[in-house]
Amino acid sequence: MPNQMYKRHDRSDIFIHWFNAACWILLLLTGVGLIQHSAIDPFGSGYPEALRAMVGGGGNLLTIHEGIGLLWILGFVFYLIVNFKGAKFFLSEVFPVSPERDVPWLFKKMALMTIGPKVLKDPTLPDQGYYNMGQKVFAQASVVGGIVIAVTGIIMWLSDRSLGAEAVGIVSWSIFLHFIGVGLVFAGLLVHIYMAAISPEERPGFMSMFTGVVPGDYAKHHHRLWWEKIKTENK
Amino acid sequence: MAQQLAMVIDATKCIDCKGCVAACKVANNVPEGQWRNWIKQDEGTPTPGVLPTAKTRFQPGACMHCENPTCVDACPTGATYKDKETGAVIINDALCIGCGNCIPACPYNARFRNAVKRKADKCNYCPERRAHGLLPACVDTCPTKARVFGDINDPESEAGRLFRKNKAKLVQVAAKTDTKPNMYYIGDPGLQDWAGEAVIPASMIAMKESAPFIKGIVGLSGLGVLAMLSRQLFVSSDENKENDDA
Repeated sequence: MPNQMYKRHDRSDIFIHWFNAACWILLLLTGVGLIQHSAIDPFGSGYPEALRAMVGGGGNLLTIHEGIGLLWILGFVFYLIVNFKGAKFFLSEVFPVSPERDVPWLFKKMALMTIGPKVLKDPTLPDQGYYNMGQKVFAQASVVGGIVIAVTGIIMWLSDRSLGAEAVGIVSWSIFLHFIGVGLVFAGLLVHIYMAAISPEERPGFMSMFTGVVPGDYAKHHHRLWWEKIKTENK
Repeated sequence: MAQQLAMVIDATKCIDCKGCVAACKVANNVPEGQWRNWIKQDEGTPTPGVLPTAKTRFQPGACMHCENPTCVDACPTGATYKDKETGAVIINDALCIGCGNCIPACPYNARFRNAVKRKADKCNYCPERRAHGLLPACVDTCPTKARVFGDINDPESEAGRLFRKNKAKLVQVAAKTDTKPNMYYIGDPGLQDWAGEAVIPASMIAMKESAPFIKGIVGLSGLGVLAMLSRQLFVSSDENKENDDA
């Protein structure tokens, strides 16, 4: 039987993924440069100084960061208009967690990938659906984190444009939440980038973020519940 | 030695004319109801027709460009910073978003959120005027020359000369948080204990305290990736194959 290809991502899904990736990298690099405080500086004080000097001052860096941030939000609005159904499907696949399937999968997978199969009595992984639990965790963090980052970002952007002195508490807490949100999502992003782009296992999944399709044997092995469902539908 | 711009004020020369307050407002276009500087007095406002019981003492003041600026510590972006060259505490308007962290962090209440610019505001020693060789507006306008401005590290400057000559009797306003203010009074400035405590907002404390945890979580995640990567690179592919087929 030839290795049939199954459609996994729409063109708008692929667009928003890479658009988001590009925005996040630029926002992270510029955003870290906007923090300058000896107790917080993620990369030390040399980084913000160098970056600010490069773009002609902290004010310019802030403008660049705000511009990319607004573009990022507009990109998502555009995606939601074009493919609202896709977004709804994504959320409905990402948030429900099966305690008997997904939770053991996550712990077993972490042990398998870092220490090895010898550490587990039974290294068999429970079958997974459209997304595996690792993908779900990162997707949940990205959705919740993304909303927090976008909302707090808009509040900060509005602060010196339309907010009054009575709003400074909200603005200041927004800075904190923006920082925490980015930090936690970034921790997950490291694993996401490794799993998708560096680990050989997920290569077909990585390719599907360009082509939109995955081979049947990959779908069967990695997303068996999904494969079983679409196998019958596609016949 | 780097500069330390400061004010050395002879409080006994102050006649409470408020010329400095008005001149500052005009020079810096400070919005209605807000002020960058002040004159405090220790005997309450005189009532017409009632003879004051004691001699009223006047204390001109403004941002004290502290040696240990708690406002700078409250700013997450470095929009407020102590300038290395001049020792002045500066606000970078382009970088400040008006989060307000620095306002309660000043024990002297020298900061406010500019109602028009919606950003932190305070005395900046009139850099535009100094660039043209002029003195800060408040100093320039003072009819009794109570306010003297300059680099106290330069013994040739008037401020430096006064600072050195009166070193033993110089008075600073004592706040509950010692910020080492660079505002020195010669002569009795009256009230010296009106300043409060530097309050860093809870949100800023939360950000400072959470930073090590965030770095720790990112570090752990990075270690996990390194562990996976080293397994991928160094553990025999046979074992990986087994794992893959499982």
